[in-house]
Amino acid sequence: MRMPLALVPALVPALVPALAVLGLAGAALAHGPTPQKIDQSITIQAPPDAVWKVVGDFGGIGRWHPDVARAEASGGNVEGTTRRVTLKAGGTLVEGLDEWLADGRTYSYRMSDPDLKALPVSSYSATLTVTPDGTGSKVSWIGRFYRGDTGNEPPENLSDEAGRAAMNRYFADGLKGLKAAVEGRTTH
Amino acid sequence: MRHLRLIATLAVAAAAGTGAGIGVASAAGDPVWVVSQQGAELARVEAGTVAGRIPLGPAPVAAAADRAGRLYLTHPDGRAVTVVAPGEPPRRLPVPGQAFGLAVSPDGARLYVGDWSGDRVLRICAATGAVEGAAAVGRDPAHLVLDRRGRLYVADRESRQVSVIDTGTMARVAVVPTGEAPFALALAPDEASLYVANVRSGDLTVIDTATLRARATVPAGRMPYGVAVTGDGSRILVTNQHAAAVTVIDAARLEIVATVAVGPYPEGIAVAGPRAYVANWFSDDVSVIDLATWRETARIKVAEGPRTVLAVGEPAR
Repeated sequence: MRMPLALVPALVPALVPALAVLGLAGAALAHGPTPQKIDQSITIQAPPDAVWKVVGDFGGIGRWHPDVARAEASGGNVEGTTRRVTLKAGGTLVEGLDEWLADGRTYSYRMSDPDLKALPVSSYSATLTVTPDGTGSKVSWIGRFYRGDTGNEPPENLSDEAGRAAMNRYFADGLKGLKAAVEGRTTH
Repeated sequence: MRHLRLIATLAVAAAAGTGAGIGVASAAGDPVWVVSQQGAELARVEAGTVAGRIPLGPAPVAAAADRAGRLYLTHPDGRAVTVVAPGEPPRRLPVPGQAFGLAVSPDGARLYVGDWSGDRVLRICAATGAVEGAAAVGRDPAHLVLDRRGRLYVADRESRQVSVIDTGTMARVAVVPTGEAPFALALAPDEASLYVANVRSGDLTVIDTATLRARATVPAGRMPYGVAVTGDGSRILVTNQHAAAVTVIDAARLEIVATVAVGPYPEGIAVAGPRAYVANWFSDDVSVIDLATWRETARIKVAEGPRTVLAVGEPAR
């Protein structure tokens, strides 16, 4: 098992105590050798511009994602902005915006600091895109992630399967919530 | 299967640097091999189509080839290397570690295997699988490349450096600082320069192999995950995983001169004759780039999760 302290880069010192206390083998910012795919989409009965107005605000994920308790962004929808997304089930995702293109109705971001309580993965990147679909829209949310413990014998809760289940649930919940928010229904 | 000879294509997966002839590619382009990690398959792409498929054990990643056309593939989660020899069933060699990066001596006698979580490189006898030696490197060794005089370069991903190993003694002879998260490596055809793709800092470090110092670090696009060099050494191709693109860098001026759109999450790249082939990890296909026009001319479907492309030459004449 790898030592978490040695894995944590200097840029995330706040993480050190948490990982050390939990005794987790997951590597901060570590990209293990086996990336996993997330590929989800949903159709929404609203024009792309209307959907983008809701989903395109990087810091506004709390307004449509049902698993999110609150979210705050460090700035506007520009490269380099960071959002802190606190989940209802506990844990906080810190994510950095890499690209935001209003013309393409798309943005890409990646995990800054892992929080295995929020999602049992050591790193991920993702892209959300709104495209026209008939009279409505299609929203695709795709990504790449690495399991929570990138070593060779991950515990069950930090395995590829655990990561896939959690990431797929988080993306699916989000898309369902977005559809409901845009189409004017409440979730669940 | 034909006798294959590796040419100087410098695939992302560190094609062992056996680079013999340069620019001898046929007009039709050369066969390339594509490794799909999720699909656990090796595909032979020839004349724009998948001409053969070899099923492998779970989750293969990196690949290298020797002069005789034998292919070697790593399985990090399976602690193994698979040897695929022409006309023989694949052979599994156990590796005592998380085998990721890989290089092979031109004669196929010795394998150099990075142990991702063990922070070391192993020298393994390809015939017996015996571990003959090991060298400590930095954290999370990613891809490896071997030059013609037997020096091994290792991208120490979480240590922001390249380790240089004398494979005769397995001693580390130098450590060269790079950008943040170096991952893929490629040698120039003349081996005077080593190109290092830095994932997190989005740049390319150029190492002078004579002095073993970084000569320059230049922008290379968003999340560089693979690097290859054209046969004449004039252009460096870098896959940008977060931009679904390949940036083309002029090797003399070290400036981006073109950007070619490819599939989502591109990773491994190799040059074969007049074309480059790019593994699009997310869309499960390979982009073919025409090096004369710098455009994507085709997509070839492969098994799920392609990460590595390895180019091999025509049979030796």
